[in-house]
Amino acid sequence: MVTLTIDGVKVTVKKGSSILEAAQHVGIRIPTLCHDKRLIPFGACRLCIVEVTSRGRTRTMPACFNPARDGMEVATDTPRLRDSRRLQLMLLLRSHPLLCPSCDAGGDCQLQNLVFEYEVPELSFGRQSRYFHVDNDSHFIRFNMNLCIRCGMCVRVCEEVQGQSELSFVKRGIESEVSTDFDRTLDCEFCGQCASICPVGAISSKWLVGTGRRFELNNTPTVCAFCSLGCSLTLGEIDRKTAYVSSSPDSANEGNLCVKGRYGWPFAYSDERLTKPLIRKNGALVETTWDEAIQTVADNFGSIKANSGPESLAAIGSQRLTNEEAYVFNRFVRTVLGTNNIDHAAGLGYRALKDGLAPMLGYAASTNSIREIREAEAVLLLGADLTETHPVAKNEIILASVRRKAKVIVVDSIRTKLSDRDGLFVNVPQGAEVFIVNAMIKFIMDEGLLDRAALDLRAEGLEALEESLKDYSVETVGVNFGIDPELIRNAARMFTQAESAVVILAEGLNRLGDSVALSKAAVNLALISGHIGKESSGVFVLGEKANAQGAVDMGLMPDTLPGFQSISDENARSKFETIWNSQIEPKQGMGARDIMNAAANGTVRGLYVVAENPVDTYPNRQQILNALGKLEFLVVQDMFMSSTAKLAHVVLPAVAPYEKSGTFTSAERRIQKLNPSSKIGCGKPDLELFMTLASKMGKADLNYSGYAEVMDEIASSVPMYSGVSYGRLGLQGLVWPCVDAEDSGRPTLYEGGFPIGKAKLATAEPFAGVLPKADSFRLIPCVQKFHSGSFSEWSPSLMEVCPSGFAEMNGHDMAGLGVVDGSDIKVTGSGGTIILKVKQSRRPVKGTILVPYHFSSNNLNSFTDWGSTEIPIKVEKA
Amino acid sequence: MQERDAILKRKVQDSAEAIPPEKLLLLEPIIEKYQGSSSYLIPALKEAQEMFGYLPMEVQRKLSMGLNIPAPHIYGVVTFYSYFTITKRGRHTIRLCLGTACYVKGSKQILEIINKEVGINVGETSKDGRFTLEAVRCLGACGLAPVMMIGEDTHGNITPSATLNILEGYQ
Ligand code: SF4
Ligand code: SF4
Ligand code: SF4
Ligand code: FES
Ligand code: FES
Repeated sequence: MVTLTIDGVKVTVKKGSSILEAAQHVGIRIPTLCHDKRLIPFGACRLCIVEVTSRGRTRTMPACFNPARDGMEVATDTPRLRDSRRLQLMLLLRSHPLLCPSCDAGGDCQLQNLVFEYEVPELSFGRQSRYFHVDNDSHFIRFNMNLCIRCGMCVRVCEEVQGQSELSFVKRGIESEVSTDFDRTLDCEFCGQCASICPVGAISSKWLVGTGRRFELNNTPTVCAFCSLGCSLTLGEIDRKTAYVSSSPDSANEGNLCVKGRYGWPFAYSDERLTKPLIRKNGALVETTWDEAIQTVADNFGSIKANSGPESLAAIGSQRLTNEEAYVFNRFVRTVLGTNNIDHAAGLGYRALKDGLAPMLGYAASTNSIREIREAEAVLLLGADLTETHPVAKNEIILASVRRKAKVIVVDSIRTKLSDRDGLFVNVPQGAEVFIVNAMIKFIMDEGLLDRAALDLRAEGLEALEESLKDYSVETVGVNFGIDPELIRNAARMFTQAESAVVILAEGLNRLGDSVALSKAAVNLALISGHIGKESSGVFVLGEKANAQGAVDMGLMPDTLPGFQSISDENARSKFETIWNSQIEPKQGMGARDIMNAAANGTVRGLYVVAENPVDTYPNRQQILNALGKLEFLVVQDMFMSSTAKLAHVVLPAVAPYEKSGTFTSAERRIQKLNPSSKIGCGKPDLELFMTLASKMGKADLNYSGYAEVMDEIASSVPMYSGVSYGRLGLQGLVWPCVDAEDSGRPTLYEGGFPIGKAKLATAEPFAGVLPKADSFRLIPCVQKFHSGSFSEWSPSLMEVCPSGFAEMNGHDMAGLGVVDGSDIKVTGSGGTIILKVKQSRRPVKGTILVPYHFSSNNLNSFTDWGSTEIPIKVEKA
Repeated sequence: MQERDAILKRKVQDSAEAIPPEKLLLLEPIIEKYQGSSSYLIPALKEAQEMFGYLPMEVQRKLSMGLNIPAPHIYGVVTFYSYFTITKRGRHTIRLCLGTACYVKGSKQILEIINKEVGINVGETSKDGRFTLEAVRCLGACGLAPVMMIGEDTHGNITPSATLNILEGYQ
């Protein structure tokens, strides 16, 4: 700690803080034009200069990169400083075109504001015109480098935070400017971070052009609805229509967004949105009234229930529902439909949390907050291509790599952007990541790299784990997959010897292989390395869609009530029977896979699907089509005419996430509030639909005055949410467990121990040698250009960047096949044949092709089955 | 002046034909030598330029892929050091001044005659590899306007016909 005086105010800050940070700490503003807390200080603009007196000498120096020292006397606003800042501004204006009246940034430009604040007079010297590049053709973003003030923040955010390095300072002297190579248009992540950080109008998002300016926006804070990271969004509206999306620097995500969050929102305005309820008449879906649609649903579910019992009904929810909707849906299914046949995400998307982490550690949730990743010294990624699926979490790994010099260990079937960072890349067939982790554990044990005494205090089951690993060795595993055993040894050393280390898995319906076994291996590894229960050390399982964690918390599973409370637990059941004023069937229901089988054989006759699209996303497309086709009554509630909705008897249009209230719980357990912007479509909120249906089905007491009341009920029944209420959910939300109204939440779990006593090490899967067949190709379902399926395919903006899926192959394989970029290839597998365009890429390794799973037109789930670990295919030139 | 600004702003056309992929394979040994250490970018670029004489887009892209250094970064370095060039250079570089004084005194006519007689525009290199033409904004010799430099030699008070004579002296 150091203590200094700034403008007469005493400040004490951490050693190493800059003078600027010290000033901000006590609310003293120092003007800056090239500083952002996310970036390494650069010192380009000299606006932040201050007068520093220490040991009797007074000097001026930039505050942004000079450290605060004990006893300093700092003055931030003297006449001399004002003059000098004014001169700096005049020099900037000398070559900055004065196009403010027509500039996008007008009214919200830091240069303009400072010129005003410092009362810069007419320039006393000649202005200079310069000619730099202008790019109006890149997706979403436009560049006019004539307006650039060379602050370098765009270049730095792209390199230091995004890890993309798409922009660079080019040329020299007065010709120097920011550009891509050869002034080409962007081919990058399209995150728009460069546009959002530019203090002037040199880089800006195109949406606003001709629409309005940033200062005119009507802002609503809400939460991103794409991936599970829960980035906070600010929806800016002009004339009651979204025009611009940004994120507050004070949010948990520090203002960072990815392309989906920042530019993906136009799906809400898609012409394809369902506007009226549809009902099947004479084989075709036709528009109808809400009354008729709801009545038909109530009548049909009612009669199936009366004729063949409630167990012939089933329901599938979604990670896209808010907590409140998921909770009420759970209640609706168990008490109104009267069945425990309820599931979501194919019964697969949450298993690592529920069957891996929960029994071993206590909670079905990631152990730490996303923001802790940046301080980790080692990051182990197990089949997690975060750049594509969870872009803002990838930024944390870039920060760790750039700032902490962290080792990034990538165990994956594909090369990813992160496998290029300093660390290791262990290439394995998809689904085999678990064997590498087990081999690492075995090596750590054999070498005595673990602290047994410390481990015994915290965890049990070490002997059984050792026993189960006896057939493992780095050599056998290495040889089997053609990997140098030394690579596995190094990975083990790097991970276990780091001061702090995290393991990251990403769940999603595109993942092949046993995610439970993988998550268990990950937790074992973290436990024996002592990397759990402290800051920046732990296990992350990042779910696929926005409320992946909430759907688990709210119990959208056949055997659990909200709050991980088992349906067979008498006490839990009776608690909810009282709150819900209804009987709950004690018998565990069917999960998604069984529901589909039961539909196929006629034991399930009616199905209610909410915000999920099994036809395109569940494994084994043929089986799903067949099962849904057999149903007597299928209701689909969605925003769009999905492939599943096309089979429905009744389709109920839902609203877009930007029109919703409620909360999402992110993958870091952060509960955040959604706030509706102006109404866009004609759908109804899911909550309202559940209540209307319940009352039509004779349960009028399933009724809430609004989302806040549902949250109050959740707080009273779900222990981790006890302290949560809408009044407490600010910009940063609350992280569970949050047990009472004083509790500010716990980002790092298990610091004081485990709720289940000692952590339970799991036994390892026996090592089954799997050698990839040499003669056939393997298909790897992947994500291309940040698509995620359910929303992205309806988003005109994201479709503009990547309009259709293509196959990615590496150069060697393409040459072997005699194909070039743009050729058609024929892919034949168990699910039939598809023709795809091929593109050379560095991501696939030899013998694999990557095909995106999120374009419904590819029907990729024809090639997968429940539990498949690999997809062997034949690839030919078409 | 707008017309002059347009000349100065004009994007340089790719004068040289693209380097065929099989010639790019020549870069492999350089890539092998410097792989894995981004701090050796400058020596790698130097060797590549010695090999091809210049560093066009294809060469930079290939090095970017091979050395795993972002292409914008390589481009930034290449354009920063005057030692590197992205266009094929002629044996002699003509720097024609289009600064205000020179322009007013007729450097546009000089540009036109070079255009016509040597067949090159600003930023281009003649087919015979003799000249590369560059435009500059004031050579600091306004008293001699219009001015051009060829290599290290300065020629002032030039006229279109004198220009051709001067060029004759550089083979
Ligand atoms: S959009 Fe993102 S990745 Fe692309 S240049 Fe800007 S900051 Fe870099
Ligand atoms: S484009 Fe904007 S952010 Fe980038 S250097 Fe110029 S002024 Fe700064
Ligand atoms: S990282 Fe995820 S939550 Fe954040 S903006 Fe992107 S899609 Fe949205
Ligand atoms: S903010 Fe300190 S130099 Fe720009
Ligand atoms: S304008 Fe040509 S030398 Fe100055």
